Amino acid sequence: MTVRVALIGNPNVGKSVIFNNLVPGARQHVGNWPGKTVEKKTGKYRYKGEEYELVDLPGCYSLTARAVDELVSRTYILEEKPDVVVDIVDASNVERNLYLTLLLMELETNIVVALNQMDVAKSKGYTIRTEALASRLGVPVVETIATQKVGMEKLKAAIENAAKSPKPASLTYPSDIEDLIEKLVTILSADASLVTHHPARWLAIKLIERDKEVLEMIQETTLDSKIEEVFA
Amino acid sequence: MKRVKAVLGDDPEIAFAERRYKMIGGILEECLTKTETGMTFSDKLDKVLLNKYLGIPIFLILVWALFQFSIEASGVFMVIIETALVTVGAFFGTLLEGNEMATSLVQDGIFGGFAFILPFLAPIFLMFLGIAWLEDSGYFARAAFVMDKLLRKLGVHGKTFIPMMLGFGCNIPAIMACRSIEGEKDRMISILSNPYISCGARLPVYVLFAAAFFPGFEGSVIFSMYMLGLAVAIFTAWLLRKTLFKGEPEPFIMELPIYRVPTLRESVLHMWERGVVFLKKAGTWLFLGAIILWFMSAFGPAGYLGIDPDVSVSYTGILGGLIQPIFAPLGFDWRLGAALIFAFLAKEIAVESLGIIFAVEGDIAIGGALAGVFSPATAAAFMIFILLYIPCVAAVGTIKSETNSWKWTLFSVVYSIIIAYVIAAIAFALLSAIGLGVIGGA
Repeated sequence: MTVRVALIGNPNVGKSVIFNNLVPGARQHVGNWPGKTVEKKTGKYRYKGEEYELVDLPGCYSLTARAVDELVSRTYILEEKPDVVVDIVDASNVERNLYLTLLLMELETNIVVALNQMDVAKSKGYTIRTEALASRLGVPVVETIATQKVGMEKLKAAIENAAKSPKPASLTYPSDIEDLIEKLVTILSADASLVTHHPARWLAIKLIERDKEVLEMIQETTLDSKIEEVFA
Repeated sequence: MKRVKAVLGDDPEIAFAERRYKMIGGILEECLTKTETGMTFSDKLDKVLLNKYLGIPIFLILVWALFQFSIEASGVFMVIIETALVTVGAFFGTLLEGNEMATSLVQDGIFGGFAFILPFLAPIFLMFLGIAWLEDSGYFARAAFVMDKLLRKLGVHGKTFIPMMLGFGCNIPAIMACRSIEGEKDRMISILSNPYISCGARLPVYVLFAAAFFPGFEGSVIFSMYMLGLAVAIFTAWLLRKTLFKGEPEPFIMELPIYRVPTLRESVLHMWERGVVFLKKAGTWLFLGAIILWFMSAFGPAGYLGIDPDVSVSYTGILGGLIQPIFAPLGFDWRLGAALIFAFLAKEIAVESLGIIFAVEGDIAIGGALAGVFSPATAAAFMIFILLYIPCVAAVGTIKSETNSWKWTLFSVVYSIIIAYVIAAIAFALLSAIGLGVIGGA
């Protein structure tokens, strides 16, 4: 069986370099996302006898419904449900990059974090305790320097591991927000088809944020009025 | 029960984002230590390249160096290509000896026009190489940043400058790159101001005319053409902002990638990707064009005109004569008029058509032939007109598809012709005033 892996990260973090390192040029396929002017790159590689299909998602800072490329990434993750999501984090710019990581955790994806550009981080005087970061996030973290092909084998191994024993990420917010999320999750659970297709907590968070797409989704259900009570 | 508003306030999305950053802060407190290392090489370089006073002069020097490099370094390649073509041409000449019309087609049309344009591929490719190098090194993004201050004063979005830089290669991908500009008004301004950036296809015209009329000053003449194009593009953007697209530009946020030395392989690959478009164009349209142009120049309503005829009575001559009166004040004759009409298809066809016209007339050394017919002031006016009027048929098509409006496309075409004529006329008058309006004088 082919393992489906999605590659995501902020712009300029070396995502395409990692893609090129993992997938030999001849096995790459470049097209467009259906109906969009956003480029879609896919490719396959083999690791320990297993076949992996890699999809390069558009570079983005967050996953709102406002920008085309962010929506493309988010829709792909929600609808295609890749087996593993590799989140490429620029180690020299961790603070901003981890924002996307949290959003991916909200989506309860099976994440592997690639901490890339470790060399640049080091030259900026950053020391990152990778193990501590991995345990705080609850997801595997691999150090890489894509431009020098450093850490690629470890990354492949981490992807294999994540595919074999999938562990959806989870994220707990401070209790005041958690109360709101729980309240909304209880209401949303009444609609079985809604919560089997999307993580309930994620829907709740997006409702709190007044996400355009999720609001439209809810308007089609009968939950509308109950949800408004939480907001009023 | 606590409501969303009580917990997160009036803008829950922003409040939620703040919470996330707070969490990240908490995580990083445990996992990240920063030690002061002083400035990185990239930071130090930026101190100079992005300096308030030095930024723009450094940008101008780099662009000047880019053109100087592509002109100077291409000389040897141009000679090699020319020599090869002359050898092949002579071979075909002996092959076709006796058949007057076929000899003329091959010698004047194919070799006088089509082969005449081929050596100019050398400077075009070298310029692409230079542009690729500047782009891959991370300087391009800085150029936009440096120009933003100046552009903002004129009400133009700094991001507009990135498509402008790409336009030095070709306006078509440059106009398409305007998609990345948010804000409909900013995007329209970027599209409509881009065609004045001088693309690679205009370069052969400058190289030919600068060498024939301004020997010794080729680099500077060509550089000033590029700067004029840039100035007109910025002026147009300013004008559109003040009149048709009133408002403030959206804020400009851009990440500056760190500097790196691009590998030769990378830059060459980049150059090839862009240059191959010209090769394909040369192999198809320019070749076909040469045959059609030869036919139009060697034949007239009276039929075949014979050896070294008066081309002004050919179809080309008649066509050029139609618009020549409009350009008479600038010293253009029917030849330049015809070149302008054909160059609408692609700007390098101006060179191809002049090559064919002179070849059919019996002139082989076109540089000298040009200098014998036009004054330096006329040459400058012609270069300026080629630079500024209607980009080319493909670019007009791109403007249509990107603006999705015939109205704006038509506006772009008409406006470009007017501004081209006005500036060419001003340049002609100024150069004539300093004595360059005389044929053979320089």
